[in-house]
Amino acid sequence: MKTRIGQVAALGLLMITTAALAQSKPVAGEVAEGSLKGKTLTFVSYGGIYQDGQIAALKEFVDKSGVTLLSDGPTEISKLQAQVESGNVTWDVVDTGDFPPYVYCGKLFQKLDFSKIDTSNIPEGQTSECSVPAMNYGVVLMYNTEKYKDNPPKSWKDFFDIEKFPGSRALEGSGDLSGGMIEQALLAAGGSVENMTVADIDKAIEKVKSLGPDTIFWKTGADSQQLAESGEADMIAMWTGRAMTAVKNGAKYTPAWQDWLVVMDQMTIPMGVKDPDAAHALINAYLGKSAQETLAKTTSYTPIHKDAKPEVDEITAAFMTNTPDKLKLGYQQNIKFWVENFEVANEKWNGLMAGN
Amino acid sequence: MATRAIDSRDTVPAVTADGRRRWFRGQAFWLVAPALLLLVICLGLPLAIVTLRSFSEPQWGWQNYAWFFGTPVNLTVLQRTFAISAWVTLVCLIAGYPYAYVMTAVGPRMRLVLILCVLVPFWVSGVVRTLAWVILLQDSGVINSAIRAVGLSPVKLIRTQTGVVIGMAQVLLPFMILPLYSVMKTIDLRLMQAARSLGASPARAFAQVYLPLSLPGVYAGAIIVFILALGFYITPALLGGPRSTMLSTLIQNQVLSLLNWGRGGAMGVVLLIATFVLLALAAPLSRQPHKTGSRR
Repeated sequence: MKTRIGQVAALGLLMITTAALAQSKPVAGEVAEGSLKGKTLTFVSYGGIYQDGQIAALKEFVDKSGVTLLSDGPTEISKLQAQVESGNVTWDVVDTGDFPPYVYCGKLFQKLDFSKIDTSNIPEGQTSECSVPAMNYGVVLMYNTEKYKDNPPKSWKDFFDIEKFPGSRALEGSGDLSGGMIEQALLAAGGSVENMTVADIDKAIEKVKSLGPDTIFWKTGADSQQLAESGEADMIAMWTGRAMTAVKNGAKYTPAWQDWLVVMDQMTIPMGVKDPDAAHALINAYLGKSAQETLAKTTSYTPIHKDAKPEVDEITAAFMTNTPDKLKLGYQQNIKFWVENFEVANEKWNGLMAGN
Repeated sequence: MATRAIDSRDTVPAVTADGRRRWFRGQAFWLVAPALLLLVICLGLPLAIVTLRSFSEPQWGWQNYAWFFGTPVNLTVLQRTFAISAWVTLVCLIAGYPYAYVMTAVGPRMRLVLILCVLVPFWVSGVVRTLAWVILLQDSGVINSAIRAVGLSPVKLIRTQTGVVIGMAQVLLPFMILPLYSVMKTIDLRLMQAARSLGASPARAFAQVYLPLSLPGVYAGAIIVFILALGFYITPALLGGPRSTMLSTLIQNQVLSLLNWGRGGAMGVVLLIATFVLLALAAPLSRQPHKTGSRR
């Protein structure tokens, strides 16, 4: 009798381990049938076409797992902070900008359990302790083809060279720090990004100021698109998605891809969510090939699955940033430096934005 | 302060006033209770928390205020916030005063049309209105195209303080016109006729009779517009450039991008106190008409 109980227990234990093992090797995009029935997840992002596309990408996950998916937003780190501090976290998976998961890792965002997420198809160097990428895009130099007909600018160096390339400039002034842009300004000023110091930020900002008082700092993506479509600025640092839409709408601008700035949104799980396993399952499903293809097709952002081949039109394809030739030209900001000097860098950048 | 101002104008016999005051003490509290409750919960409490955090984060002390006054850009922006608000108030007054006067002088149907003209833009979302201004004001926009068409050189409107003031004045104009109108409609226009019949020129009759009687509306409108303008965020962000950034944008940066509630709170408290000080300085002006002219 005693042995039989032991045998049953051993068998049971074996079954549990097998199940656990099966679970411990997740495949991006897959979720067990009915595994989240009766559960609710709240996904938070920036709204608009982007979030609609993300929800569309998650449809398969929702149908298969049986989860109820709620959508909220826009992402505001201060709201998340309030939730975490009060111990009442209602946001389960949050799409954020570049920096937050680095700056607030372990404080507002939990360290991800990578035994539950298949990251094997994500481009090199894009995951962090607290995040995986949500999509890729870029900041690209768009120039007016009529203005610079014979002598087009080729890189950010030309963008910051007001003598060789006279004309007005527009940069991102949405309020978020763009480390990559500051680094390019520093390089244009003759500085080096190796062993950057805080003083280098001042040097870079001086370079930006040298573009003159008519430099435009656009506030929203729509704002930058409007600048291109009305021809208000001769060179514009633009998000690739907005650049594409402007070109589709007939803006006579074309990109110079040299050192385009790699930017991404991040997928994160806040501290203190009620069901971390379910949140991990959502992220794992989101990273799948077909989910990423849907995302790219609906939003025209670049998918972060290496093998994703979304069916998109010619112009959209021209602004996808994951082709080998573009990946070669891309510029990655020194995220470690910006995270370490986040506050002082923001203060200096915001000073520039406030007309100091 | 407010009750004294009302009392001095009160023409109701004293006995009744006393009686009313007694009733007031007992019952009126319940009449104001809902509004009071709302104010305490939705304004007083958050304000207290923000003030507290401006002293307590990251540790107890004056550090956030020291930072505010020690950072030149903050002072520049604070000064600019008040300057832009003052300009907006002036533009609203210049545009709103004659408009409100016309509203009192026309027939009821025309008045309805005029009120609608003020209110319709009021019902459109602020972002939509501001974007419409972008299209009008930009270098290749409607206004500059028209200027070019008549052979003049275009003017820089978008991303300048002028553009911001124009856009904000349009948004805030109803807040000037409505108080002005509500005061002006109580002014007996026969007083002007009387002044004329006693030999005053139209300009003098206006300056000595009509204008003083309309001043309470001017003060009410100016204060509402000025205070609302101080907190503007979307319009300066979209119509202005770096040199028209207002304090609310800096506060937003501190709180939303940097999660620095202490500094953001300190900025808010400084703006609030500066506003109170300014209003206190302006208060004697607004009491002037009660001293000089009796209304009935």
